[in-house]
Amino acid sequence: MSVGAAGLLGSSGSGAEAPGDLRFPLPESGVAALSPLQLFWRRFRQDRVALCSLAFVVFLLVVALAAPLIVKLLGLPGPSVQNPNLTDSFGSPLGPSLAHPFGVDQLGQDVMSRVIYGTRVALEVGILGTAVATLIGVVIGTLAGFYRGFLDTLLSRLIDVVLSIPILLLGLGIGAACAVRGCVGGTIQPGLGLVIFLIALANWTYIARIVRGLVLSLRESEFVQASRALGASDTRIMFREIFPNLLAPIIVYSTLLIPLNILLEAGLSFLGVGIRPPTASWGQMIAAATPIFNTAWWYMTFPGLALLLTVLAFNLLGDGLQDALNPRVAR
Amino acid sequence: MSPTRKLCSAALAAALALGLAACGSSSNSSVSGGSGIAVTKGVQTPRTESQSGGKRGGTLTVLNHTDFEQLDPGLSYYNIDYEVVYATQRPLFSYKPNSFSEPTPDMAAEPAKISGGGKTITVHIRKGVHFSPPVNREVTSADVAYAIERGANPNVGNPYFPSYFSSLEGAAKANGGPFPGITTPNKSTIVFHLTEPKAPIVLAALVLPLSAPVPEEYAKRFDAMKPTEYGNYQVATGPYMLENDSAGKVLGIGYVPGKSATLVRNPNWNAATDFRPAYLNQIDIELGGDTTVIGRQVLEGSDMVQNETPAQPIVRLAYEKFRSQLEISPGAGDHYIAVNNKQGPFSNVNLRKAFWAALDRTAMNKARGGELVTNVMTHFIYPEIPGFEQAGGLKGPQVDYNDYPEGNMAVAAKYMKLAGYPSGKYTGSKTLQVVGSNESPSAEDAEIANQTLKNLGFKTKLTLVEDSVMYSKYCGTPAEEIDVCPNVGWVADFGDPQAVLDVAFNGKNIVSTGNNNWGLVNNPEINKAMEAAELVVGVQPRAEAWAQIDRKLVAQAVAIPFDWDKNPNVESKDVAGVGDLWNTGQWDYSYTSLK
Repeated sequence: MSVGAAGLLGSSGSGAEAPGDLRFPLPESGVAALSPLQLFWRRFRQDRVALCSLAFVVFLLVVALAAPLIVKLLGLPGPSVQNPNLTDSFGSPLGPSLAHPFGVDQLGQDVMSRVIYGTRVALEVGILGTAVATLIGVVIGTLAGFYRGFLDTLLSRLIDVVLSIPILLLGLGIGAACAVRGCVGGTIQPGLGLVIFLIALANWTYIARIVRGLVLSLRESEFVQASRALGASDTRIMFREIFPNLLAPIIVYSTLLIPLNILLEAGLSFLGVGIRPPTASWGQMIAAATPIFNTAWWYMTFPGLALLLTVLAFNLLGDGLQDALNPRVAR
Repeated sequence: MSPTRKLCSAALAAALALGLAACGSSSNSSVSGGSGIAVTKGVQTPRTESQSGGKRGGTLTVLNHTDFEQLDPGLSYYNIDYEVVYATQRPLFSYKPNSFSEPTPDMAAEPAKISGGGKTITVHIRKGVHFSPPVNREVTSADVAYAIERGANPNVGNPYFPSYFSSLEGAAKANGGPFPGITTPNKSTIVFHLTEPKAPIVLAALVLPLSAPVPEEYAKRFDAMKPTEYGNYQVATGPYMLENDSAGKVLGIGYVPGKSATLVRNPNWNAATDFRPAYLNQIDIELGGDTTVIGRQVLEGSDMVQNETPAQPIVRLAYEKFRSQLEISPGAGDHYIAVNNKQGPFSNVNLRKAFWAALDRTAMNKARGGELVTNVMTHFIYPEIPGFEQAGGLKGPQVDYNDYPEGNMAVAAKYMKLAGYPSGKYTGSKTLQVVGSNESPSAEDAEIANQTLKNLGFKTKLTLVEDSVMYSKYCGTPAEEIDVCPNVGWVADFGDPQAVLDVAFNGKNIVSTGNNNWGLVNNPEINKAMEAAELVVGVQPRAEAWAQIDRKLVAQAVAIPFDWDKNPNVESKDVAGVGDLWNTGQWDYSYTSLK
């Protein structure tokens, strides 16, 4: 039998935090069961750090979605507009000013404008890469855990193989080998697609292992046994009985994965195999700023701060979600 | 001609020293540094540094981030190595610090004689020059012959022998032993016999360290090893030698890889046979360390110079606070944008001219550090090379697409229309493959060039790769069909205009790999003019002949030039450093002294 909504955001089908838990006093007017979502929100909103992080993440999403509008409203030039007049006669970029609050780079490009547009790349890569990795991880983890036996062995060994791939070196290799014309008939091209592919490749295994472990446990649960006794198909059991109980850990892990992926993108771009110029990427900006840090501190500082705050916000949000969704392991 | 990859890399590294900070306009006035090149007031140049009157004695400490590649004169082909090699070895001819056009007889006793319709070169060897210990004996013409012959020895594998000495009779089959192209009728005469009348270029190449004498009876056992071990047991003919033991062993004594090198006076050097003053008693070279730290140590310390090009913050620091300790050497090479003349949009000369007109060359140079270390390139023979003035000097040929260093979109639109694009913008479907170096400041140049192409309406795909990969895999491989290489650079091996133009723009030099004619320039008229100019004898006639070719190259806009490099060097306050105009403009230890 499905645990339905109770399991949607609970820790598992074991129902450790079922509605009506006596830790939450009931209103005198009568019993008003709180939905799991309400329970989650009740716990989450008590965590001010997580709330601030959520607000910052929402802010980042708005910045990413409305980047052109924000840049226009702030009166900044576009991220790829070069202006040599904004460097001095010896090529040093000018520092922060009213017209260019974050200063400019060696090409006279506005750093603030590029940081704003860099948000797009960071979130696009972070969220999309995580989504792909999660999808693959959940499917493979569920299949391995549910069917066990030969399929489990096969998929587990596949996970081991993928885990042994040095992703950064692979990225550097692909970036170098496929730099200009791409590889496999142009299918693999350095840039956003390659970064997302590498992120998915690097991360699905961790999710698959977690999911496999949970499914191995869940498949022996009474509600699953009951569903099976009632003649439910494997597909129905996986989707209707087991999957809802996986959502909470998946959400938490995915949220924690996003900042790692943003960092991986920044790392790849720093090494020159990530996002291609002139598209703005924080990692690429930090790399370009390194040789001139002594004379143009702002060029590295602002994209660096953006990266730091974004990663921090996602990490704290992930922690908050973890605490709210699974209070038994709360700090 | 040989690719000057190492030297090009050095020039690129030199450009890393750029990105200088704001400088007061009042302190930015310029004076002539010779050859019409403006240098900043108060900054030394090889032309302003005195070559005489230095204080004799003392030990100079040289701080060097980079290790040497090859100190064997038969192998050395790297600007950093050359500083040691030219202090310890005497090739047949060499350049004085303030000259990059007229080689001075060095191991040769007098200028060479060309005869036989340009197929024979006769050189008389200077008498009284002795090898350093443990060889000690006097140098003869046979030692010069062996030095060049060993260049063809597979165990030695000199990198430029095939380019400059292949016209010697029998050179194609040479493997380290004697061949008919080199004869020594007596102990003080060496004669080069050529299969083609290419004496001028072979003669010019005799300034390279391959022509420095090597004693066969001593070196042969080392050259029999694969690879040769002679570099580790080398003997010297110059004023200095790498410190060695009684058996001649240098490795671990005078040169400890990755750690140090020690040059001491060559006890057998006779000042009467040499034009170098050789003031210093000893030169201690310390290898390794951070370039920025090294630069600061040098500027604030004493008795020191930095060997390689200093880092950007150091050049800035030197310019602002230690200007008298900063030296800038013009004529350190060039940078231009190679465009595919063979196929694609830029096979159309008017599109090339449009690109040239639209490009903001001052912005390109600002990315490399601005006017302190660059000049806007207006044609292809670079400063200090004979033919530079004849080809137009600093201002260059007066054609409208060359008249606006900041770029002019109206002129560009004119040529776009002539190319068949009435809107003034490219409307073709081709996406240009733009492949540049990912190293700063070349990466910035690539982005400026890429943006310029977009402004002209081109769709582009910009890829930035390692510098060496850009040259070897893409720009140097015609099959890759790269449309634009936005930051290729060139440093001539010697001061002859052919060394600048021939390899890069002569169609006969296009090869399938390791190609240095990056734009695949193959214009029959230009090829024919080069063929004729190769045979011209004499500095001035050659300068004029090659300047005419330079003008043709500009008229055809075969590439988009943007930067003539100048190389910065730093020294301690008590060092009277003397830099070279040739090579990439590094220090010359045979002239440098302590104050």
